[in-house]
This record gives sequence, structure tokens and C-alpha cells, in this order.
Amino acid sequence: MFPQKRRLLALAAAGTVLALTAACSGGSGSGDDSSGNADGTPSGKISVLTWRTDLVEDGTFDTYVTEFKKKYPEVTDVKVEGVKDYEGTVKTRMNTDDYGDVLAIPGSVTPDQLPDFFEPLGDQAEMEKDYRWLNDKSFDGKSYGIPVVGNVQGILYNKRVWEEAGITEFPTTPQEFLDDLQTIKDKGVAKVAPLYTNYKDSWALSQWDGWRGAVTADPDALNEMTQTDTPWTPDSDYGVIDGTIYDAVKQGLTEADPTTTDWEGSKRQIGVGDIATMALGSWAIPQMAAAAKDAGADPADIAYMPVPVQVDGKFHTVAGGDYNLGINVHSKNKATARAWIDWFNHDSGYSESQVGLSPLIDGAVPAALESFMSQVEMITMNPAPAGKESLFADIDTASGIVTTDPKYRLQIIDDARSGARTKEQIFDDLNGKWAEGRADAGA
Amino acid sequence: MTSAPTGLGPMIAAASEPDVARPTRTPGGAGRRSAWYRRLTPYLFLLVPVGLLLLLTYTPVVNMFWYSVTDWDGLDKHKAFVGLDNYVEVFTDPDNLRVFYVSLYYVVGSLVQMALALYFATILSFKVRFKNMWKGILFFPYLINGVAIGLIFLNFLKPGGGLDTVLMKTGLESLVHQWTGDPDIANYSLAAVSVWRYTGLTFVMFLGAIQSINSEIYEAAALDGANRWHEFWSIILPSIRPIVGLAFILGISGSLSVFEIPFVMTNGANGTETFVIRTVWMAFQRNTVGLASAMAVVLLVFVLLVTWIQRRLVPEEEVDLT
Amino acid sequence: MKVAAVTAKYTTLVVASIVTLLPLGLILFGSFKTNQEFLSTNPFQPPADWFNVDNYVLAFTKGGMALAFFNTALIFVAAIAGTILIGAATAYALDRFRFKGRTIVLLLFLLATLVPGVTTQVATFQIINGLGLYGSRWALILLFMGTDIVSIYIFLQFMRSIPRSLDEAAMIEGAGHLRIFFQIILPNLRPAIATVVIIKGIGIYNEFFLPYLYLNDPDKLPISTALFAFKGPYGSQWEAICACVVITIIPILVLFLFLQRYIYNGFTQGATK
Repeated sequence: MFPQKRRLLALAAAGTVLALTAACSGGSGSGDDSSGNADGTPSGKISVLTWRTDLVEDGTFDTYVTEFKKKYPEVTDVKVEGVKDYEGTVKTRMNTDDYGDVLAIPGSVTPDQLPDFFEPLGDQAEMEKDYRWLNDKSFDGKSYGIPVVGNVQGILYNKRVWEEAGITEFPTTPQEFLDDLQTIKDKGVAKVAPLYTNYKDSWALSQWDGWRGAVTADPDALNEMTQTDTPWTPDSDYGVIDGTIYDAVKQGLTEADPTTTDWEGSKRQIGVGDIATMALGSWAIPQMAAAAKDAGADPADIAYMPVPVQVDGKFHTVAGGDYNLGINVHSKNKATARAWIDWFNHDSGYSESQVGLSPLIDGAVPAALESFMSQVEMITMNPAPAGKESLFADIDTASGIVTTDPKYRLQIIDDARSGARTKEQIFDDLNGKWAEGRADAGA
Repeated sequence: MTSAPTGLGPMIAAASEPDVARPTRTPGGAGRRSAWYRRLTPYLFLLVPVGLLLLLTYTPVVNMFWYSVTDWDGLDKHKAFVGLDNYVEVFTDPDNLRVFYVSLYYVVGSLVQMALALYFATILSFKVRFKNMWKGILFFPYLINGVAIGLIFLNFLKPGGGLDTVLMKTGLESLVHQWTGDPDIANYSLAAVSVWRYTGLTFVMFLGAIQSINSEIYEAAALDGANRWHEFWSIILPSIRPIVGLAFILGISGSLSVFEIPFVMTNGANGTETFVIRTVWMAFQRNTVGLASAMAVVLLVFVLLVTWIQRRLVPEEEVDLT
Repeated sequence: MKVAAVTAKYTTLVVASIVTLLPLGLILFGSFKTNQEFLSTNPFQPPADWFNVDNYVLAFTKGGMALAFFNTALIFVAAIAGTILIGAATAYALDRFRFKGRTIVLLLFLLATLVPGVTTQVATFQIINGLGLYGSRWALILLFMGTDIVSIYIFLQFMRSIPRSLDEAAMIEGAGHLRIFFQIILPNLRPAIATVVIIKGIGIYNEFFLPYLYLNDPDKLPISTALFAFKGPYGSQWEAICACVVITIIPILVLFLFLQRYIYNGFTQGATK
């Protein structure tokens, strides 16, 4: 494996100080001393990286660990690390060998990179008998990750606020959505903002990507994007997403000062109705409902609406895995790591507690989503055709846009606020870069 | 701004001494073995320091130049040579050019910082009540860590925070702004925080220099009937010119490598992205180590250029204060 | 005229002091408020209960501040010891010996001062990772002691002021170079050591970039990184963040009040030497 090779190279470069470096690396063993029998019973210790810092804080993970150890008494320790700014931090850590034993696979890892970083969990065809949404993190017939829970994508809103503004029907076009937000603003029912961007915690802007596919009701939306030089048009998936963001900000329907937004605080604010709407996956429902309850509001106010576009008179929602758990290919204790993943999906009760769709084929639809699900058509995105698994990512990186990173969307908000560029100029620029990226990537 | 390179005078002087000429007295009873041992001794002492220097300073610099002409993503074993493509991208992508522009705010900030430091150093070098208290207050911010400063000012500048309250209370409502939210103002706010943080250091450097001016010069000037203003222009400023030059170069290189304050306060959003924030993002998030290295090389060349110009303007020997 | 000048002088000093202290004072106020109080009162209103230490308790229990202090201390001790030995050894070899390659070594150190560490971090990261030190405190210790050229300068300066007759006398008595180094040179370098301990100590205490880049284990984070990490989950509890900030400032304030003179000297020397 190449990391070893890199280590040798660096050592060769070190040359004169070999003795010194050897002395120093002696002190580095962080979690490497765990053993665990290669294919036998889980034992020893593992470390688990999670993005759910809140569940680490409130002790939920402590309970999980206790339960897990009860089932596998030979496991001595499960070290859970809650990672703030998960995507960015873990991506940096993946430049090294040290990224835990079990971790959620960051969204920006491209399919062809999976074998370099993660241990295969099994043949996709075989595993699909038990699990849903494996496409995302599979490559060459092998699956590298299993989603912890399934999400549907759309818009989270405070039902009471929307009803107080006199809106009871789901908006059916982006324009209608903006008009509704305007109504909420005009009636002054949401003190902070009709729509909250969570700009400062920029990852929240990537949540809008959940609209991809739902806008055009096309499970191949992303694959088709690699075939066009102009993915940003008024009716395309990206065009509607970024256009809606631009227009909402431009028309003053979002928070006044986006640079001082606060994710933790926004949960309470939407809970009590100071914020009317946020574009988030369905995973956010229980968190917001809990915050509403804590703040003395009615948790039932937190509701979910579909992406405001209808195709053939129907709303659509993309269902897919939330974060996928995978095993670090450099892990020294893969048996225990695998046991943790299986235990987490089958026995932990995580997906029920998160009001998500179970990743298990025979899992039930949670009550809170039943009414939403009855009004929308569910789609699952198709994987990239064989041989083109990394094409999207290649174009994306080469173009310099990096859609998986919220940076370009922050820029759109900046431009909408300052008026530095019109929506058309932004789209032209993005299309230009995308075309360049396609040329560079040889698409 | 870190306490970086500075007076190299003594070093150069030392380097120009002949290497072997010094006659060594043979210690009593030293035999052949110890002569051999003595020759080896300096190398043994230097083994670790020079080893670390090569490993942690020179290897990265060399590697950086090499990475900068490849398309390396930081992970792949294969690095393809791409010539100057990365450099072209550094200078043509408006997002990259913007970080240079953002640095200008901090350069202006460091000029303001020097002016303030000079003013306070001058008045505190004369008779003032509670001199030590003023000095301590002005210097203290420099000792606070950057994250704390970022948080302190997020609290102070947020809408309805400390600054807004002061402005409301004093009837200056019209001046209330989104200090980090308004894209036209954000960089000024961040540069001002930087001034708040670093003025103390510049001030103490200047004060030390002014206080080391020979007092007889003042006395002579006083006899000539010079007032404070004349004293400042004709005695103080010329005497501390080398230190001012030094503060200037520290200010420039500091402005180019600003990281903590914008990172903590705005995370580089809203048009406040700096060189270091962007380079780190490119290297580790976007996985374009080659491009990030090219950015770093450009930054390095800039800093070297500024240092060189400063050396040309202020001859080295003058820096020696002692 | 004279009166006006004096008034202006003191006015500017008072204004500057207010500008400096106000943001700090508001943080202190905030740290004693309850969440409800923080949101509803204006920042200038003193806390209702000056003995409300809940936020401080939270900072220690949830923010892991005690552990962070311990980590900082650990890194500090190791890095300082390394810096002193490296700086003194370099200065000793360069000042007391004439040998082949001395000029080259001097030039290497000279050139290194021109390279700001922050520019090479992208490439340094690969070296540290190649050594298998990513995520280890040793990465920081190595970087703190291996890239500090300023300290080497300070030692070189002071080395000159130690009379050669001292080591020559010891040599006549039959002392070897190691003994001379440890028994004569190091003790006589005390002023330089004090300067380096102060500058570097404060530098290490405040360093954010390196631990942010190289450490990930929440149990290993030093103080400024722990403060940054605390801000994530407690982003909406500003009163707790205030307490956490105050906790990080207090040690440095105490140190400053006791060692003012040395600190000023240290920084002027560090910057100009």
C-alpha cells in the first residue's frame, strides 16, 4: 500500500537524522496497540469517529458503548470521537493513516478512492439483500459503507408559523416558494427570518444538494450533468437550487447578518418559530423537534415539505443513505470495527431514534414521515455507469467549483447580498468553469 | 505576525570570520585521540540541530517547489509533471487573486498599527503618570491567544453586541453596521481586530528603542530650545528608524500570513479569505496539493522580496541596537 | 497650550485603554450570566449574580479545560527542553569551534530565518505524516523545537558574552566538551534561557495553527484548540464560551503581572536580535 512507500521516502529524505526520527516515532502509537483477532471474535479496542457531537455530549454514545460491550465482553474500549466540522476535518485526517477504525465516509470521497481508504464490507449484490442505498459507497461490485439511516430530502419548516401566515398548501414552484416566504416576512410572523441559511456553519448549505434529482424527477440527474457544458440553467437541478438561494437572499428573505448565524441556536429558533424554514434533510426533524420541546414550544410544529417543484403534477423526494459507516483500511482491529457497524445498524436503535428510514430492507417507515411520504413520489438516485464512477468528481475538482464543498454557494450568497453579480452572471461563470472542467477531465 | 527573521547582522559578521585561523591552545595532557575527538566534537553537537533544520525547513521547501509543478492530490502515489500550470492558475483564478487583495487590508492595518505604536511609545517615553499601567494595558492583548481574541470580538461586534450598544447609547445609531456581515466592512473589522492584537508588541519594541537613545542628546536639544515636536522629528524618529523598518517588514509578512482571526471569526467567508486559509483549504479539502504548493511558493517569494527591499532601504548594521 | 497638550496626552491614553479593555470586560461580564440573562440583557449590564460559576464549571466539565492545560504543559516542557538544548548546542558549536563547513551551517541557519513557517506547512505536513507522527503530540514538540531559529540566535548572542577563559580553564582541568557544555556553558546561558522560555512559552501557549492541523484526538488538544473545539457544540451558549475564554486568559494575565519586566525584555530581544 502506498502510505508505507511514502513513509520510506520521507525517511530517506530525513537521511542524517534517522536515529532521531526513530526515537521520536516510538512515542506515536495512538490506538495502534489494539489487537483483536483478525477474523475471530471482536475484542480489544477501537475508535469510532462520528459527526453527531450532540449525541456524544448528551451521553447517548456512552449508552451505545455500554450496550455494545455487553454483547461483546472481550471488547475493552470503544473510543468515540465527536468531530466538529466533520467533512472538513475528516477529509484532512484522511491525508494520513489515522482516521479511526470506524468512521462515516465523508461525502467528498469519490467512488474510485473508496478502495484506497476503506475496507470492503462485502459484495454489493449479496449485501443488497439486506441493505438499501448501497450504490453511493460501492465501487466495482464491492460495498465500502452501509448507511446508518435513510433520509428523504426536502424542506424543514415550522408549521405553526406557515399557518399563521395563512399558507396551508405546499408551494408547487420555486417562485411560489419565494412568494410564500415573502408573505411570512410581510406578516412578520418569523422574527429572525423566513428562511435561514446557516451560512456561518457552511456545511448546512450543502444540504440543498438534497434537491438534486427531485427538481427534475430524474434519478440520473448527476450522471447527465457530466454530459453537459451548461448544468446551471433556470430549470436544471443546480439552477433551481442555486437560483432559489440567490433570489431568497437577494429579496431579503433570509437572516440579516449571515456571518453570525449559529447552528445550535437555529434549532431553538425554528422550534419556537423565530425561523420559519430551513433546507435540511429529514434527519434534522428529531433534532429540531427536541429543541422545540426544550424551549417550551410544541415539537409537532416541526414539519417537512417537499422540494417546491412538480413534475407531471407530483412532488418528488430523493431517498438515500445518510452518512455511511465504513472501516479504515489501515485499521488494526477490523473484526471489532465490523461488529460495531453491524451492531449499530441492527441493535442500537439509532435509525428509529432519528426518525429516519431504516437502512434494512425490511425496516418500517417512521410515523413522523408517513404523511409526507404519502404526498410525494420517492426516487433513488442511480449510480454512475461502470468506468465513470469518478467522472463527476473529476470534473468537479478540475473545474475549481467543488460542488461538494459549500464554498461556491457562500460566494453566491455574498454576491446576492452585495449585488456584485446577477444570477445570470453567476450561472455563466459556473457553466464556463464546468465546461473547462469537463475538457480537463476528458469527458 | 510571528517573531520572525530579523537582525542578521551578527550572524553575517560571524560568518565572515575565517574558518580555521584561530590558533588553538593544546590542552595539557591531550593526546592524539583527543585531537581527533576534538575535531569531531562540533559535528556531534550540530548533528541534531542541523538534522532538524534540514528535515523540517529545507526538505519542505524543496518538496514544495517540486509539488508545485505537479498535479499531486496529496494521496496518489503518482505525481504528474504539469509545468507551470499551477502558477498560471494562481495568477488567473480571480478567487486566488482575491486573497492578495484581502492582504492589503492587513497591510494598511499594520501601518495604522505602527502609527499608533509610535505615538504611544513617544508620549510614554516622557514623563507620564502611571506609566507602567498604560504600558501594561496597551501590551496585554498581544499575550492573548488568537482563538480567544476571535471569540472576544465575535461577541463584541455581533449585532446588538458591545460596539453596537456603545454607538446606540452615544447617539451614533447611524454608524451601526453588520461588522462582520457587511461585505464592504468585514475586512476592515478583521484588520482592526488585528491592529488591536498586535499594536502592543510594536509599541513595546518602539518604546525600548526610544528609551535606549542616549539622554545627553535630549539635554543638548533642550538647551537649544527644541520643543517636543522637534525632538520627535530630529532625534527620536531618526534614532529608531531601523526598528521602524523592522516593524514594517514584520507587518508585511504578518499581513500575508494572517490566519487565526479571520478563520475563527468568519471562517474566510464573506470575502475575507486569506492566503493561509485558502492554501490549507486547497491542500486538504480540495486535495490539490500541487496548486496549494504553488500558492505557498508565491507567498514565500513575496516575503523574500519584501525582506530584500527592506534590507536595501535600511542597511543592516544600523539594526544592531545594543 | 501646555495644558491642552497634557489633556490630549491623557485623553488618548484613556481612550486607548478603554478600547483595549472594553471587549475583555464584556467577556468577563458575560461569563457570569445565565443563558437567559445573556440573551435578554445588554452586554454592559453587570451580571445579576457575580458568584454564578455555572459557566466555568461547564467549561471544565464539558470543555475539558483541565486536560487542555495538562496537554499544553506537557508539550511546553518537552518543547522548551528541546529548544534550549538545541539552541545552546548550536551556539556552542558555532561559537567555540572552527571547523570545515561552519560557514555553510551558519548560512543554512541564516537562510532559514527568511522562510516563514506558515508557507511550508503544506509540505511539512507530508513529512510529519511520513514519519508517522500525525495525531501525536510529538509532531508539535518536534516542530516547536526544530524550527525555532530565533531562539538559536538569542543563544548565539549570549554565547559571545561568556568568556572563553571559563571553558579553557575547565579544559585544562581535564573536562571534556560534554562536561563543559553542561557545567559551564548552560548555567552561564541562564539569561538567554529565561528569554527563550518566556517568548517560546507564550508562543506555545497561544499556538493554534499547528495543533489544529496535526492533532485530532480530543484528549490531546492543547488550550487554544480546545477553546476552538468548545465553540462548536456550545455555539449558542455564549456565556459558556465567555467563561472558557476567561479561563484561557487568566494564566497569562497572572504571569504577566508577575513577570512584566522580563516579558517586555524578552519580546524586544526576541524581535530585534
